[in-house]
Amino acid sequence: MKLNSKTLLFLSLPLLFSFSSMASSMAPLTFNAPRVLLGDDDKKGEDADEEDDEDRDRYLAVIGGDVYSGNGSVMRGASILAKNGIIEEIGHDLWIPEEAEVLNAKGMRVYPGMIAVEASPNIVVSTSRSADEGLGDLHVHPVDEEIDPLAVFEAFADELLEGRHSVEDSYDPFSQSLVLALSSGITSTVSNGTAIKLKRGEIDDLVMSENSQVSMAWSSKNPAGRRSLREKFEAASSYLRDYRVWEKRPKSEEDTKAPSEKGVDKNVVAVLTGQKRARFTSNEQGDLLSLARFAQQYEFRPIIVGCIEGWTVADELGRAGATAIITPRDRRDRNEMLNRESGSTIENAAILYEHGVQIAIIPSNTGFDMGGQSGRDLMHLPIEVGFAMRGGLPESAALDSVTVVPARLLGISHRVGTLEEGKDCDLIVTDGDLLHYQTFVQYTVVDGSIAYDKQKEIFFAHIRPRATEEVFDPGEEVAEDVDEAVVEDSEAATDESSEDSPTDEEGADEDSEEESDEGGDESEEDGR
Amino acid sequence: MTVALLAQQSMKALSETFVALALFASVATAGGDLIAVRVGRAETVSQGTIEHAVILIDNGKIVAIGQDLPIDRGIPTIDRPNWTVMPGFVNAYSRFGLTAQGGAGSEPHKLASSEIYPRDAVFEDLLEYGYTTLGLYPPGNGIPGQAVAIRPVGDTIEELIVRDNAYLKIRLASNAGSKKMLRDGFAGVDKFDEKEAKRLEKWEKDKEKADKKKKKKSKKDDDKDEEKEDDKKKEEELGDFVPEAPKDNVLPFVQLRNGELSALFSIRTASDFIHLIDAIDEEEFTWNLRVPLRDDIDLYEVTERIGKLEKCVVVEPRLTFHPGTRRVRNLPLELAEAGAKLAFIPRSDSTRGYRDCRFNIAELLGAGLDRDVALRGMTLEPATLLGLEERIGSLDEGKDANLIFLSGDPFEGTTQIEAVMLEGRVVFGELK
Amino acid sequence: MVVEARFDFAPGDAGEKQSAGCSQSRFALAFKPTLSAMKLSSLALVLLVSCQATGGDRDGLSEEPKIAELAAGEQGVAMFCARVLTVDDEDRILSPGLIVTRGGKIEYVGPPIEVPAGYERRDYKELWAVPGMVDLHTHVHTGGWGDVNAATNLINPELSASVAMVPANPLLQRAASSGVTTLFGIPGSATSMGGFGLLYKARTSGGYEDSLIADPGGLKVAQTHNPDRNGNAVMRSWAGLGWLLEQINDDAIAATESGRFDPQLENLKRVHSGELPVLIHCAGAEGVANTVRMWRINYPTRSIVSHGSFDGWKVADFVAENGMPVNHGPRISDYYSSRTGRVEPTAVIYSESGGPNFSLNTDSQIVPQDEFFLQASMSARQGADSYQMLRAVTIHPARAFGYGDRVGSLEVGKDADIVIWSGDPLDPRSYVEFVLIDGEAQYDKQLDGQWS
Repeated sequence: MKLNSKTLLFLSLPLLFSFSSMASSMAPLTFNAPRVLLGDDDKKGEDADEEDDEDRDRYLAVIGGDVYSGNGSVMRGASILAKNGIIEEIGHDLWIPEEAEVLNAKGMRVYPGMIAVEASPNIVVSTSRSADEGLGDLHVHPVDEEIDPLAVFEAFADELLEGRHSVEDSYDPFSQSLVLALSSGITSTVSNGTAIKLKRGEIDDLVMSENSQVSMAWSSKNPAGRRSLREKFEAASSYLRDYRVWEKRPKSEEDTKAPSEKGVDKNVVAVLTGQKRARFTSNEQGDLLSLARFAQQYEFRPIIVGCIEGWTVADELGRAGATAIITPRDRRDRNEMLNRESGSTIENAAILYEHGVQIAIIPSNTGFDMGGQSGRDLMHLPIEVGFAMRGGLPESAALDSVTVVPARLLGISHRVGTLEEGKDCDLIVTDGDLLHYQTFVQYTVVDGSIAYDKQKEIFFAHIRPRATEEVFDPGEEVAEDVDEAVVEDSEAATDESSEDSPTDEEGADEDSEEESDEGGDESEEDGR
Repeated sequence: MTVALLAQQSMKALSETFVALALFASVATAGGDLIAVRVGRAETVSQGTIEHAVILIDNGKIVAIGQDLPIDRGIPTIDRPNWTVMPGFVNAYSRFGLTAQGGAGSEPHKLASSEIYPRDAVFEDLLEYGYTTLGLYPPGNGIPGQAVAIRPVGDTIEELIVRDNAYLKIRLASNAGSKKMLRDGFAGVDKFDEKEAKRLEKWEKDKEKADKKKKKKSKKDDDKDEEKEDDKKKEEELGDFVPEAPKDNVLPFVQLRNGELSALFSIRTASDFIHLIDAIDEEEFTWNLRVPLRDDIDLYEVTERIGKLEKCVVVEPRLTFHPGTRRVRNLPLELAEAGAKLAFIPRSDSTRGYRDCRFNIAELLGAGLDRDVALRGMTLEPATLLGLEERIGSLDEGKDANLIFLSGDPFEGTTQIEAVMLEGRVVFGELK
Repeated sequence: MVVEARFDFAPGDAGEKQSAGCSQSRFALAFKPTLSAMKLSSLALVLLVSCQATGGDRDGLSEEPKIAELAAGEQGVAMFCARVLTVDDEDRILSPGLIVTRGGKIEYVGPPIEVPAGYERRDYKELWAVPGMVDLHTHVHTGGWGDVNAATNLINPELSASVAMVPANPLLQRAASSGVTTLFGIPGSATSMGGFGLLYKARTSGGYEDSLIADPGGLKVAQTHNPDRNGNAVMRSWAGLGWLLEQINDDAIAATESGRFDPQLENLKRVHSGELPVLIHCAGAEGVANTVRMWRINYPTRSIVSHGSFDGWKVADFVAENGMPVNHGPRISDYYSSRTGRVEPTAVIYSESGGPNFSLNTDSQIVPQDEFFLQASMSARQGADSYQMLRAVTIHPARAFGYGDRVGSLEVGKDADIVIWSGDPLDPRSYVEFVLIDGEAQYDKQLDGQWS
C-alpha cells in the first residue's frame, strides 16, 4: 500500500500532544497510546474511500485576525480562506465552506510565515536524535545499532558526489528542530541552496526552488581568485554579447555558427542573465567597495552575506542593487589605525536600507539554542530584527527582512513572503506585534494546514497559555510540588485572561510601551 | 527406552560433543515413538489457553493437542498437572555468538549463516531460558545480507539451520544514499527483467526465423545435404530458451518481488519510516520493521501508520521516555493498539538478556500491554518474521514440538522454566 | 499628585477604561505578583503607602516643590521626559516627569516643575528616563576575556581583580551606551575562591579612580560547575572543594577571633564580619543547595547565589527560605537538565520564589555587556512580569549587593546614574539617547552617534 501525501497529511496533523487529557485513565506511568492521533479527519478518512479523500478539497479558514499581509496592507478583523494550501481569498465576511477547518484568530495578528535565509543543517536534515547514550543494553547490538556519526553529512556527501539535491531524502518531518522552527514562526528555509517548505509529518513537495544562488568568493586576501572571477565574468559577458548578436542575425547569415561556449562559466552566464543570484560573503570595506563596483560594471545584483562594514560604502552597494544578509548584532571593533570609518554599527541595516540595499536578516546562531542563553538563535529571529530597528531600520523594512526579501533571494516570492490571493497559505498567528519581545507565535500554518499550535506542544504551552484551553502539562509526574503550582497558575490565568484579553484592540497599536505593559500584565497573572 | 530418558542423558552429555552427536542420531531414529504430555495448562498462542491440556508428539511433531484428550495405554506420558506449557521462544533478531563487523554497502546476497561457527556451542546456553529458535542477522548498515533461522543445538551448520534466507536485512535511514540503495536494488531487477525480455524477444524472433526456414526447407526437400547439416547445427545452437539466473546481488530482490523472501527494515526514527515509505514507493513485497527503542525516540509519530499497514515490529520490551522529558511511553503498547504486530527481542543480546526477557515483557504488561500480544510477540510473530509460521511459534498439530515447561505463568517472577523440548527432544531439564 | 501621575501612565492603555480601583497599570501592580487575588486591597495599600511616603520624605512637597539654585561651580542637569520609571519602592511612574541632578546626585524626581536658571535643560519629551542598570556578574573590566583568573591555586582570597581593570575600555563604552552604569567586575570561576572583585561605574572616559565605587567590592567564589573541571585543580570533587572553602573560612574566622593579622585573610575577614558581600558561582540543584548551606547557614554572610543555572531552580524555594538573593544568568531558561520537555523559565521561577532581590546578570562577555537589558526582555518573554525584570537589572542587584541607597533607582539623594531611552528599555527596538553617570554625561547619541 502506498501512502500518498494527503493520507500522510491527515495522519500527521491531529493533536500530537493531546493525550494528556486521557493519561489519567491509563496506567500511571505511561502515555496513553496514540489512538487519539486519529482525529475526526482520520475517521472520515477511514470511513470514506481513500481515493475520495484525496480528491476532496481541503479548506482552512483563519478568521477574525488582524492581517498584516506584508505588502503594506493591514486588514483588521479579516479572514483568510485557503483551498488546498493556496490562499483563495482575504477579506471580511468571507463565505466559508462547511467542511473548512477553522482557526479562530480573533484578537490576534496574522503575518506571512517567516523565511530563514540561512539555517544550520540539523533543522531540516534528519540526524540521530538520541540524547541518551547511556543505554548499555542496546549497545550489545554493536554493529546494527550504532549511530552513524556522519548521518548529517551523508546527505551532503551525496550531493557533492552526484550533484543532486537530497533534502527531500533526508528531511526529518518530525524533528524537534522542525517544531521549534515552526514555533518561531518560520515556515521556509534553505538547505544547501535548496529552498524548502517546513512541512510537518510529510516529505512530499518540500522543495520550492533549487540553486537560485551561486556562491562566489571575493576577497582582497585572494587577488588571484578575484582576477580569475573577473576573467570569468568578462568571458561570459563577451559570450553573451556575441550570442545576442548571433541571435538577431539576418537571414542571410543563418548558417553562422553560434558563439563558442568553450571556457564560459555557465553559472556566471546565469548570473549575468538574472537567472541566478551571485552570493558573496564579505565584511571588509575594501572588499565591499570593489565588489560593488565589480557588480555595477557587469550589471548584476550581488547578495552579500555579513556586510559588517557595508554602512561605510552603502551608496555604492545601493547603486549595485545589492541585497545584504546581515546580523545586526554582529560586532567588529573599529580599527583605530585606519583614518576612516570602520568596524560595526548597529545602524548598519538602516544605513544600507536608506541607500537602497535590500536587507535580509539572520541571527548569529542559525540553529536553536535550548541551553538557556536566549535571544540569539533562529528561535528569536524577530529579536534580531528588533536590533536592526534599534539602529533605525523602518518597521516595514524590518518585517520584509524576514519575509519578502528572503523570498526574493530564493526565487520563491511568487509563492511565499506575503499574504495574497493565489499564494501559498504559509502564515503565522501571533498574540501581538510580531516584533515585540513578549509576543509568541500561537499557530503556524504551512500549506493551509495547521503545523504548530503553541498549546499543543510541550515547549511553550506553559508560558502565558491561551485562555480557555487546556494546557499540556508534561511535568505532572516529574516534580510534584512544582507542577501543582503550575496547574494552579494556569487555572488562574484561564479565569483572568478571559476577562482581560491580552490581545485587546489596543495591542495592535504601534506603541511599544503599551505592548510591554500588556505583556507585563499577562505574565503577572499567568505565573510561569 | 523413552525419548525423555534419552534426552535426559543427552543433557548430561552436552559438553561432550561426540556423545551428543551420537545421541542426536539415535533420537532421529527413535523419533517414531509416540509420547504424550499432560499439563495443567497449555498456552497455544494460536488458539488460546487450554486447561488440562494433552499434547501428543510423534517424530518431533505435535500430532494432537486438546483438553483432556484420551491417551492410549502404553504411550509414555509426561504428567505435570501443575505445569504450564507454551511454544518455545523465538528471537528473530539476534547476533548471538556472531562477531563479524559489517560494512555499509549493498550485499543482499550475503548470508549470516556463513558466519556461524557451530563448534562454539554457545547457542545451547539459551535453551535453559526457553529459546528454541534464533534468527541471526548479518552485520552492517546498508543492505548487509540475509538472516538465518537456527535451532540452538547442533554441531554442524546443517544441524543448526532451520531456514536460511530467513529475511533480507536492510538499514534504512533518512538520507539519499540509503534510499538509493533500496531503489537501486529493485532497479537491478527491472534491468535484469528488461534484459531477459529482450533476450526472449530475440530468441523468439530467431526461432520464428528458424521455423520459417525449416518449413521452407521441408518444402524444398532436394536441398543439398551440406546446407541441411548447417541448418541443423544452427537449430541445435538455438535450442530452447534458457532463462538466465540473475546475479547474486539481484536475486534477493527478485525473490522479494516474487514473495520468496521478506525484508526487515531497521529504522531509528519516525522520519526513517516516512523515508522508507517514500523509497518503497509502489513496490510490493513483504516487509517488516526493526526499531531499537531508545529513549527520546519519536516513533509515536508514525505508530498509527505502521499499525494501518499491519507490520510486525521487532522491539525490545522497553519503556521509553517521551523526547526531552522523563515521561514514560509504552511504545510497544502504542504499536499494538494501532494494529501493528510485535516481535520481542531481549533488551540485551546476552544470556542475561535472554534470561530476563519474559520479565521485561512483564513490565510492559504492567503498563497495559495485552497478554496475548506478549505471548505472540515471543513466539508466533517472530516465527512468522522468519518465514517459519508453518513450523513453529504455536502449539498446533503438525508443528514442531518445541515446548517450554513452566512452573506457572511465564510472566510471573516466581515462575521457573522447568524443562524445554526441542522438536520432541528434551534439551533442558528433566522429564520422565 | 504623584500618585495621580502614576495612573496617568500609559494613556490609551486598556486599564484607563476601567475604574480607578481596577486600573491595573501593569507596572504599578507588578511588585505584588503573588497576590493576584488580593489585587484590589494591595492596590489600596500601595496608594496609602505611597501617599505617606511622599508626604513624609519631603515636607511641603505636595504643596509647592522647589528646586534649589545651583551653587557657584556646581553642575546640574534638568531632564524633561515623557516618562520617568523611578523603580523606587512605590514604583512611581511619572508621565510626564522631570528629573534634576545636582553635583552628581539626584536633586528632584517628580512631575515637571519650574527649574531655576543655571541647570542644563534637556528636553526629552518623547523619551523615557530609566535608572542605570546594575550588573553583578561581569568580566569586562579587563577589556576582553584575558586576565580574569589566576588558576594556580584553588583558594585565592588575597587576590583582587582591580589590578586588571582597564578603565573606559570599549566594552565599557558599549555598556554605558546600552544603559548599564554599575558593574561588579570579578575573577573567573576556574578556581574555588578566585579573589575579590571591584564595584565600579561604566564611565566612558576617565581613569580608575573616577570609575571606582569600592575595591574590594566583594568576594567571588565558585562553588561548583567549573573549578571541579579545571585541569590543574588538585581537588576535583565537590566534597574536596567544599572542604577547602570551609578551611579558609574557618581560618579567617579564627584569625578575626584571635586578632591575628594575616595578609591573605584580611579581606576574607571582612566577608565574615558582614562588611563585604560574596557572590557565589554555582549551578544545578545540588550546587545551589550546597551554596546556600555553606554561605548562609554554616557561614552567615552577605552572600548571593550567582547563575543558579540548569535545574538549580528546583531548589528555588530553599534559597528563598534562607533569604538568599539570586543573581541569575547568563542562562535564563533550562531545557536539557530539567527534562520536563518544556522550556523552563528559570528566571521566572526564581523571581517568583519569594526570595529577596532577584537579579539578572550577563556574565559578560558570555552575554555581551551591552545586551544586559535583553536578559530582562527574554525573562519577560518567558513569562515574567516585565517591570519585575526591570527591577531585576536595576534596584534588585543594587540592594542585593548593599548599594541600594546609592544606585539602582531614580530617587532624590542617590547617584545621578540616569539613562534616557527611546522607549521600553526591555525592547530591543528601543535605543539609548543619553547617559549620565554621577551627573556627568557619558554618552550622547546626538554627539557620539549610536554605539549600541
